[in-house]
Amino acid sequence: MALLDVRNLKKVYTTRFGKLPVQALSNVSFTIEEGEFVAIMGESGSGKTTLLNILAALDQPTSGEVLLAGRSLTSIPEKEISAFRRDRLGFVFQDFNLLDTFSLRDNIFLPLVLAGKSYKEMSSRLVPIARTLGISDILDKFPYEVSGGQKQRAAVARALITHPRIILADEPTGALDSRSSDELLNLFGEINRQGQTILMVTHSTKAASHANRVMFIKDGEVFHQIYKASKSQHEFYQNISDTLTVIATGGVRHA
Amino acid sequence: MRRGFYTKLAITNIRKNGKTYFPYILASSATVMMFYDMLYLLMSDEVNRMHDSSTLVSVLGLGGIVTGIFAFILLLYINSFLIKRRKKEFGLFNILGMEKKHIARIMLLETVMIGLLCTGLGLIAGVLFSKLALLLLLKILSLNASFGFEIPLRAAAITVVLFGAIFLINLVYNIFQVHVSKPIELLKGSNVGEKEPQTKWLMTLIGVASLGGGYYIAITTESPLAVIGLFFVAVILVIIGTYCLFTAGSIAILKTLRRNKRFYYRTNPFIAVSGMIYRMKQNAAGLASICILSTMVIVMVSSTVSLYAGLEDAVRSNYIREISVFVDSPTYDEIKKVDDAIAETAEKAGLSIHNPISLRYVTEAAIQDGNAFAGIRNAGFSSAGIAMLMFITAEEYHRIEGVRAELSEGEALVHVVKGDIPGDTLDFGGYSLNIRGQVDALETLREFAYHNNNRMLKQRYVVITADEQDLLRVRQALHEGGELHSDFYYNYLFDTKADRNAQLNLASALDSRLDELSIPGYVDGREEAKQSFISVYGVLFFLGLFLGALFILGTVLIIYYKQISEGYDDKERFAIMSKVGLSHGEIKRTIRFQVLSVFYLPLIMAVIHIAAAFPAISRLLALFNMTNIPLYALCTALTILVFAVCYAMIYGLTARTYYRIVR
Repeated sequence: MALLDVRNLKKVYTTRFGKLPVQALSNVSFTIEEGEFVAIMGESGSGKTTLLNILAALDQPTSGEVLLAGRSLTSIPEKEISAFRRDRLGFVFQDFNLLDTFSLRDNIFLPLVLAGKSYKEMSSRLVPIARTLGISDILDKFPYEVSGGQKQRAAVARALITHPRIILADEPTGALDSRSSDELLNLFGEINRQGQTILMVTHSTKAASHANRVMFIKDGEVFHQIYKASKSQHEFYQNISDTLTVIATGGVRHA
Repeated sequence: MRRGFYTKLAITNIRKNGKTYFPYILASSATVMMFYDMLYLLMSDEVNRMHDSSTLVSVLGLGGIVTGIFAFILLLYINSFLIKRRKKEFGLFNILGMEKKHIARIMLLETVMIGLLCTGLGLIAGVLFSKLALLLLLKILSLNASFGFEIPLRAAAITVVLFGAIFLINLVYNIFQVHVSKPIELLKGSNVGEKEPQTKWLMTLIGVASLGGGYYIAITTESPLAVIGLFFVAVILVIIGTYCLFTAGSIAILKTLRRNKRFYYRTNPFIAVSGMIYRMKQNAAGLASICILSTMVIVMVSSTVSLYAGLEDAVRSNYIREISVFVDSPTYDEIKKVDDAIAETAEKAGLSIHNPISLRYVTEAAIQDGNAFAGIRNAGFSSAGIAMLMFITAEEYHRIEGVRAELSEGEALVHVVKGDIPGDTLDFGGYSLNIRGQVDALETLREFAYHNNNRMLKQRYVVITADEQDLLRVRQALHEGGELHSDFYYNYLFDTKADRNAQLNLASALDSRLDELSIPGYVDGREEAKQSFISVYGVLFFLGLFLGALFILGTVLIIYYKQISEGYDDKERFAIMSKVGLSHGEIKRTIRFQVLSVFYLPLIMAVIHIAAAFPAISRLLALFNMTNIPLYALCTALTILVFAVCYAMIYGLTARTYYRIVR
């Protein structure tokens, strides 16, 4: 069984007084297996963010279904949705979304505190994650005291600490310089090799080339997808780049 | 561009910012109303026609000044908050191509509209409410109201001028604010990461020390005279302590809480404590001010209310009988004449004399040191060692108590009302008396000696001397050969059990009788005293209620705006937390916890202040003849209750608005 099963998602926005409904997603279906590292690419307005919001249970689809480990997101009652997000999903955002009033440690603890975990458990969970991410030394610093790359690594730690079934990353390298971006993407690869499923939305070819599979979204549909398989990262990069050119110039679809 | 465009834009702006502008308009109108009503009372013919209106007018005048200053500060404060919130909006206008002079023009229009609206509404409400305010005042002063309605134009004019000036100052401030800032700054607002505040242990210690010092003074200073001087010191210390503790102490406490892992790492404390550490840095001064303001409101209202409520007691304790006749330096012949005259006049008025008591005595204040008493002429004004001595002769003692005291020259009998005389001699600046014994005060002497005039003094004695010559020697020694200012008084007190008017008539009849006999003295009575007490305490009571209402309005508004502005600051934090998995229910709970602590912290602190100040204030009230401490306690409790209820209502409103902002 697939870890994430997305079936015929459709999302239509209607503004309160607007007469014209806007179709953000027309018909999206795909599955993600446990342990995959999938990148979703697409231009602005292609529906990436809408898709991610629905996967994150922040938004409801107009029709269609999302199953996470066999459980339908739409069937989860409103009261449990926050807890569900907290326990099953990990988020990494473009602008980090760290709270200035917390030290990095407390930022990372935030979801566990909300889940009512004991301090002892939180600390013991943090140790290996902080080591992997290389932030053990700066845990007591505040977000304004560290660099963008360090902030994003703290955000990744916050996503990982709940042991989520899947990490949803929204343009995680968008606010980082190229060196920090590389470091972060290597970390994503590392985490993925340890078994963590990752779904990343990006429009950076470089970022996408770190994934095992890249899906391309255009006009609210999955337009095409390619697997890395045994290709080298450089080859995969070329591959993605070519695909993007084809899509941009209006090539044939074969999803 | 057409004129209509700006007007329309200004109206839209005000309406769009309703959440923040509506309370501002309401508050401005309310202050306009209160200011007008205060002036109305000050200037209305009815008040000025009153008998002895001078105290009234000066107290009301003071009230008017306080109201004006408070309105000024309050509206300036709220305006500065409003403009801070709207900078982004003006920045956008600026970037979209509107010049600063155009923005100024919109601001002018907005201010004119709001100013006209508030002044108009306030004046209408003020005029409608003015008669009610007058009736309330007259009721408190137990005077009869007359019919008729007046609108003193001078009061309305002054109100318009004052509030016109306030709105003008606000406008100038706003235009200046927009003028000095760059559009990009206007857009960005204040979203810059702030450094975590440091724990300032020294300041915390200073806060604890000065608060402790203030409390110590307020609780331990027993002599009411000393309280007058020290109370001010205590107030200053408490104010310093409050500011220090809110700024430094709060952060120290919060950081200590944060170190307690088991407490801290739970949803509510986790979010609230971390947020408040930052919040305290910006808001400590505001919260401390709210605390001080609340304390002042509660003290002011509770003490004026209890003064007024305890008026009857105060009169009774000062006037142990309905009518009191005072005669200056009488001989025993004259005393006989006075007694006869009183009996005669009362009979003529058809009244009988009940419970008469009389005493011929002389009093001296002296500095006591053990059994030595020195004149107060060279002493400083420290009441610590001051003793009040009441002297009577053996002859008088016999007359009033029916006991013969066998005393020869240089001997005395002593009755200790309060205090202690060690040894068996009394030394008066070199002249000594041997104490033959201590006597109990019987009926008459007891009533006079324990009479409340000097009850704040901690040393009070009655000394019975052999005769007038010996007494004169004592007094001359006390005055070190200086001139003696007073002589014997003769005080005759009695009840009539008649109604108020009969008492007042008898008092004035007695007064003229004394004049006819050309005996120097005067007649005083409980009813007459009550009237003058009422005119002073009544207007203080009225002012207490009035300013209390105004200050509550101010306090509540300041908190409201404080919370709203925090809501905007917290919006982003809660957005992030809800992405990480904080549910709406949890957000609501957290907000309640957070708003609740910010709201009630100053109030709780104020109640602690009041509890500490209670002994000192009750001693101060004793100076105003208010000694009924349970009554004062009751008034304080009721005031706190009313205050807390107002507070709770605003809390509900604020928490809801806050939640709507961050949701």
